[in-house]
Amino acid sequence: MTTKDGRRAPGTLEAGVMGVLWAAATPMSAADVQRELGGELAYNTVQTILIRLHEKKTVERRRAGRGHVYWPVEDAATAAASRMRAALAGLPDRRAVLQHFAQALDDADAELLRDLLAGTEQRRQP
Amino acid sequence: MTFAVYLPLLLALPLTVTARRIAARGTPGSAAWALTVAAVIAAACSTWSLILLALTMLDDLPPLSALDDHPTLELPEPVPGPIALVAGLLLLAGGARLLTDVRLRLATYRDLRAISEPGERFVVADLATPMAVAVPGTARRPGHLLVTTGILRLLDADERRVLFAHERAHLDRHHHRLVAAAAAAAALNPLLIPVRETVAYLVERWADEDAAADVGDRALTAKAVARAALATAGTPPLTALGIGGGAAVQRVRALTAPAPAPRRRRLVVPMLVVVVFLAVVTVATGEFIALARAWL
Repeated sequence: MTTKDGRRAPGTLEAGVMGVLWAAATPMSAADVQRELGGELAYNTVQTILIRLHEKKTVERRRAGRGHVYWPVEDAATAAASRMRAALAGLPDRRAVLQHFAQALDDADAELLRDLLAGTEQRRQP
Repeated sequence: MTFAVYLPLLLALPLTVTARRIAARGTPGSAAWALTVAAVIAAACSTWSLILLALTMLDDLPPLSALDDHPTLELPEPVPGPIALVAGLLLLAGGARLLTDVRLRLATYRDLRAISEPGERFVVADLATPMAVAVPGTARRPGHLLVTTGILRLLDADERRVLFAHERAHLDRHHHRLVAAAAAAAALNPLLIPVRETVAYLVERWADEDAAADVGDRALTAKAVARAALATAGTPPLTALGIGGGAAVQRVRALTAPAPAPRRRRLVVPMLVVVVFLAVVTVATGEFIALARAWL
């Protein structure tokens, strides 16, 4: 959700940058991250977010050329994963009380979705 | 006491039958609200009916049943004893289900909240399962997003923007409250379970529409929802919405259509149900008070 003045809600910018770093296989420079985000953010904004994330120890960095390359700290995510697994373990299924973006589906539905997806792809091409 | 006391037990049915049709068209937000409010009132009324029916067992209490020996003082016996007993049992079962549901929700949210540091708005868990959860906050701390590396790697940068916008919409609009209220209603009155499922679906649709408006691209939003759902293919669905494919298919289909326009007329049924409910319950309560006067 964007705020009234068009800026993104708190957390969304960092989420975007963290998403790029986690999806990437290798450490990335600020310019790499900015490019991956599709030029949505200014270079300086990306740089500022990366520095803030580094201060919070969410990402690590090392010197590379004139700048830095960044990658996510894995310890925190591993710890979060085991706590998340523990939080959702047990009976009854605790996942059932949560809202899910990725909704499970059966084989027939998967087929339908692939068809729908193919339709969207075609429509997106002008 | 006449049929008025039994009516609220069945009046949930029109709501149950029309819920899906209400959800199929128009803006998801207004439908989610209307169905939740109607379900909560329906559950409150049917519970009140059960309470009244169970209370008629009081005429078997020693001081009242002693009066039975006076043939001149014939006590009205409006509800057969077994029915009152069944009502009492249903009441207990509903209460137990409600308690279980509330505790499960609170415990799950509490455990998920404990994963993040206070003030953190975005937490990554290194898990291959593609999952994203909007963890609601409390009065003292805002909610946060909890996503797995599985879903971050599955989606591209644009699709991740859809995901974050969708989850933020859940948090900003406090969708968990609507879902919890509908679940509480369904716990008290199991006839309302389809309404609970519909509200859960509508909340997803609502967040999808918010995300589509935020990123300004419905096709991109549809693609992100479809790709996330396809990644879970093979696992059994948590909720089945029935006709015309599961919830994921319907969400994608709705996003490939133009943005919905508000259609207030479809909300007539839930509103009508609420009005009838309140009228019937008033009649039943009046009858019960008259009965209690006759007893005492």
